Amino acid sequence: MKKISEDDLTLLYYGEHDDPALAATVASSQELSARFDALCEELKRVDSFLPPEPDEDYGVEVWRRISPKLAAESPTSGGTKNTFGRSWLSALSQPRFSLAGVFSLVVVAVLAFMLGRNGVQQTNVDAPDLVANPATLLEGIDLAGINSEQLLARTVSGHLEQVNLVLTQFANMTESSPTEAEWATDMLVANRLYRQVASKRGNHKLAAFLADLEPLLIEMAYQAHTNSPATRERMQQEVKDGLLFRVRVMANQLNKPGIST
Amino acid sequence: MAFRELVLEHSHAMFRLAWRLTCDKSAADDIVQEAFIKAWRKLGDFKMQSSFQTWLHRITVNTAMDYLRKQARHKHFETKEPEWETAPQAVETLNAGEQIDLREQTEAAMMKLSEIERTALLLRHFEGHSIKEIAQILDLTTGACKQAVFRAVRKMRIELRPLVTT
Repeated sequence: MKKISEDDLTLLYYGEHDDPALAATVASSQELSARFDALCEELKRVDSFLPPEPDEDYGVEVWRRISPKLAAESPTSGGTKNTFGRSWLSALSQPRFSLAGVFSLVVVAVLAFMLGRNGVQQTNVDAPDLVANPATLLEGIDLAGINSEQLLARTVSGHLEQVNLVLTQFANMTESSPTEAEWATDMLVANRLYRQVASKRGNHKLAAFLADLEPLLIEMAYQAHTNSPATRERMQQEVKDGLLFRVRVMANQLNKPGIST
Repeated sequence: MAFRELVLEHSHAMFRLAWRLTCDKSAADDIVQEAFIKAWRKLGDFKMQSSFQTWLHRITVNTAMDYLRKQARHKHFETKEPEWETAPQAVETLNAGEQIDLREQTEAAMMKLSEIERTALLLRHFEGHSIKEIAQILDLTTGACKQAVFRAVRKMRIELRPLVTT
């Protein structure tokens, strides 16, 4: 019988030994069992290497600290020129859109890449399906077979529907909340992403429309909590007076078959 | 789900990993934040070949190693005060004094390992990563990673054996 080393026992302890019969072999041998027990006992002591447990809302605190920096990382943030020298494609490779899970973070990058491609004409996949079930995108879809104009229209339409919800909530709340700012941040980064795509694809009307949304989203994301009630009321009025309506109209237009504005 | 949800979901685990790599709460906080910012920048590089958690752990480990190198933490570990006052109770069968002693000795033993050995052991023992995943995280071959775990286990056993028999 092959000699069982300490390394074999270590692999057995961590459930990584290639030989599925090793456990039985060890169990049937008094000497091996004793060695394995000693290993278990000693490694159990490693468990005492315990970190201090962070507060329950530690994640919230981390997000609070990093979110301004994340927004600042946006290649076109703050209304300034793009000083990062990044190409639009590399900018698009950073997912910014709230979809439905970890998959969606990857999907956004893929979507953005597809949307930015030239010369793609035909669609095999319905955009809403992609959004609802992003995993399908990763299952061997022919990327060259996507109608990127239609995909852009449908994706931005979904984005505008979310903006619509956020703005509606904003227009009807008397006080700002952290959730409001967080949603606005998400909307803002997604908005920039799609604006860049639209601009690159020559859809200047859509790009201009998305650009019009940004000042309000910026204000909601970063200044809402410091704004005076009067300022908030002014912003809410701006939303009610026309922006909300324009968002809904544009979302509907983009959702019509064959229309990409 | 937005990036925020990922931060909320993974912050605790990343803190625990960062703390175990540095034994410093403040450093762990900084590493978690920096790692998330790096993750945000690199999201486009994320491949589905590994799990998102594995990918995040890789970034956390690299950030922690950078931090350790910059701060020359190894020396600091040997002299710094332990942070056990906020740590949860570990081994119920020992009295408080014995627990602190055990923790300190375990920490000291951990810090005697090389960075690679310690990280490999932490990822295997506490985070439950497979050898293959650890190899991805540490950018090692599977064989080299396995050897790092073996060396770490051997060293830890030598250090911890007296604590078991006493």
